[in-house]
Amino acid sequence: MGLRLCSRCVTPETHETIFFDQEGVCNVCRQQEFKQEKIDWVAREKELHALLDTYRGKGDYDCIVPFSGGKDSTYTLYALVKEYGMKPLVVSFDHGFYRPTVQEGKLRTYRRLGVDVLQFTPNWHIVKQLMLESLKRKGDFCWHCHTGIFAYPMQVSVKYKIPLVIWGEPSAEYTSYYSYDDGPEEVDEERFNRFVNLGITAEDMAGMLGGKVTLRDLVPFTYPKLRDLKAINSRSFCLGSYIPWDVKKQSDLIKKELDWREEAVEGVPPEYGYEKIECMFQGVRDYLKFIKRGYARVSHLASIDIRNGRMSRESALDYVKKYEGKRPASLDIFLEYLDISETEFNEIAVSQLVYPNECDPAKLAKGDTLWDQKLWFRDPGAGSGKS
Amino acid sequence: MVSRSRRRERQKLIAIVDYGMGNKHSVLNALQYLGIEAQVTADPEAVRLADRLILPGVGAFGAAMENLNRSGLREAMNEAVLRRGRPFLGICLGMQLVAGRGLEKGIFEGLGWVPGEVRLLQPNDPDIKLPHVGWNDIIIEGDFPLFQGLKKERAFYFVHSYAFCTDNPAHIAASCEYGGRFVAAVARDNIFATQFHPEKSQKNGLTILENFADWEGGPC
Amino acid sequence: MLKQRIIPSLLLKDGRMVKGKNFGQFRDVGDPVTAAKVYNAQKVDELMFLDIRPTRESREQVCRVIEEAACECFMPLTVGGGVQSVEDVKSFLDIGADKVAVNSAAVRTPELIRAAAELFGDQCVVVSVDYKVNAAGDRTVWIDSGSTDTGLDPLEHVKRCVALGAGEILLTSIDKEGTLEGYDLDYLDEVAGSVRTPVIASGGAGRLEDFFRALTETRVSAVSAASIFHFTDQSPIKVRFFLSNSGVNVRV
Repeated sequence: MGLRLCSRCVTPETHETIFFDQEGVCNVCRQQEFKQEKIDWVAREKELHALLDTYRGKGDYDCIVPFSGGKDSTYTLYALVKEYGMKPLVVSFDHGFYRPTVQEGKLRTYRRLGVDVLQFTPNWHIVKQLMLESLKRKGDFCWHCHTGIFAYPMQVSVKYKIPLVIWGEPSAEYTSYYSYDDGPEEVDEERFNRFVNLGITAEDMAGMLGGKVTLRDLVPFTYPKLRDLKAINSRSFCLGSYIPWDVKKQSDLIKKELDWREEAVEGVPPEYGYEKIECMFQGVRDYLKFIKRGYARVSHLASIDIRNGRMSRESALDYVKKYEGKRPASLDIFLEYLDISETEFNEIAVSQLVYPNECDPAKLAKGDTLWDQKLWFRDPGAGSGKS
Repeated sequence: MVSRSRRRERQKLIAIVDYGMGNKHSVLNALQYLGIEAQVTADPEAVRLADRLILPGVGAFGAAMENLNRSGLREAMNEAVLRRGRPFLGICLGMQLVAGRGLEKGIFEGLGWVPGEVRLLQPNDPDIKLPHVGWNDIIIEGDFPLFQGLKKERAFYFVHSYAFCTDNPAHIAASCEYGGRFVAAVARDNIFATQFHPEKSQKNGLTILENFADWEGGPC
Repeated sequence: MLKQRIIPSLLLKDGRMVKGKNFGQFRDVGDPVTAAKVYNAQKVDELMFLDIRPTRESREQVCRVIEEAACECFMPLTVGGGVQSVEDVKSFLDIGADKVAVNSAAVRTPELIRAAAELFGDQCVVVSVDYKVNAAGDRTVWIDSGSTDTGLDPLEHVKRCVALGAGEILLTSIDKEGTLEGYDLDYLDEVAGSVRTPVIASGGAGRLEDFFRALTETRVSAVSAASIFHFTDQSPIKVRFFLSNSGVNVRV
């Protein structure tokens, strides 16, 4: 394919916000250098303690922890409860695609830690329309998930008057919308608009769907008004801005303390069973990325390992070649959910190609089926999502 | 930064001087967004007694000075800034006016607060466009309270054809490269002024305005 | 040195953002106020709002959009659409616009350019020039939202406007507009190279490569785009990283 890669990791030039310096090293690698060498993490953790002290014991809950059951939010919840003594309200946005292992894992986590939980499931009819519209506009069907996950807990924050919301992994770990040398990453409306919502707000969607959904239908995906957030003195940040994020160390910890379980994931080697296990359509998502940008999750994970000294670049390139670029079996379920054909799907994907990548999805080999795919919710008699 | 707006212990009202030369509302909007008390005023008495002043402006030097002289605002600003030593921020035309004189379409006397002259930009390459419009990096020439906490990327929004020229490097707070160096900001005691528009320069610009609201007029 | 600018343009109709092709077939692409906030979060260089079917009602809607956008977006805002008098220019500047785009009036009443430049400064006046290639292969200026052929040569018209005091020129190829097939590069370079005033390229951006070519192969100072941001996975921030990566001097 001939994409230029970082000279240190294996992230290509089509990665959003990538930048290669004079040595050909990408900005994400440089940010990791900064994170590992220049940040005084001891001082940062002191700041975190002081910050949490000002919120602990006030109101019904000390903070909100948005939760999916994946490794990052599970670690964040564990750390805040067990290591920092916070009483959180756990808020879990249900994107509709939790896998059985993760559903069980969430329950185990809640019961072992002992926390109050709010779970919210949006209207499936609306979700299907949003998935299709965002797939067409941006080649990314996860708009409802990105926006729901980040907006809904902020709404709970306003409604329940819990000003502090604590997230886990900073985006600076893998993109440059924010960087480690720019201070702690605030998870606010600016971040939401900068990249989380794919540049599309609920107000946009309401018009773009031509009256089929209204703003009222899109409430769960709408960021709260600035004045309402200011009124409660909202503060929302990443734990990873105050403690150094280390996915391997953190996954090992939650496996030990909470019996958190890994899961097989499409297109990814078994060594990475801690990654992105919480969504059925992670495979389809990665497939779209591969078609558009010429790389997918293995490149991402292997690059993280390279940056942490756990893998050589040669091994990474081998892994990428072996595992990336297959058509996921879960695509069949996805197409059924949205009632579109594979031809339509491919046309949309190819229309979103990111220069200079090229791809013909029809030529890609098929991947293996996940063990739990047969258990996923099916309702073929429900009718089309299109109106 | 918005979600951590600092609380101020006492009210410090900023007077944004309205002398009929445009864009006062942009500055007001920015300050209101930051939760900083400010008002736009053309009243010399309010200016005279203000805690701190911002002089914005877009347009011609000569017309601006005429407005300031005729309205009594010049005398009011002299009182507040020179005699009472209150912090002052000049923006764009508001920076150029602090010079001794301006040479835009004539020769006009300026406020004379910072020695210098306002002259047409003369980039050393004839293909370089005029006016100078867009985002350009500033080179900060020292430690200034208003430049604390800026992001590592230092571009600000400029839109002008004339620039402040001074022989005294001590007054140059920042410079900028556009077919040659020109003065991007000046500083003298309680007077600070920028050729660029902080109210149009997103995060970095808002930081400067926030710093100004807390500045007591001295050095760092 | 001065950075080259990427300027999203927001076309407004009945209070919504729309986008079409060759000045027709408009589709809803979102809410202009939240779009302004999105672009602000992406630290865009500036924004251009253009009312494509200006009426009295649409003017009020546009003013409300600008007023709201100006409360949370701190970057230069240009507004255009139906500007015919100095009062029109002033009313936009008063509600928070930094620059006002003049299009049809620049042809019908060009003295408006001089009057506005003198009253408010030439940096406030952007002259917007739309053109098409005719059957004989010549480019001519079209006005009234691309419905009236003036027969004027675009380059001559641009030169006249610059002489009258225009601070910037927005040059749009109607043929390329909305096609996502690339800018009209040779002509953009010809015009940008003929005047000292900054020229903003408009019409046709569809791939990252299009931005790169416009900014490196022509003498334009800035590029404007809309369709690529509405109908593809690109955003101004991703575009700027790509361009910076390719050696173009832009903000990141």
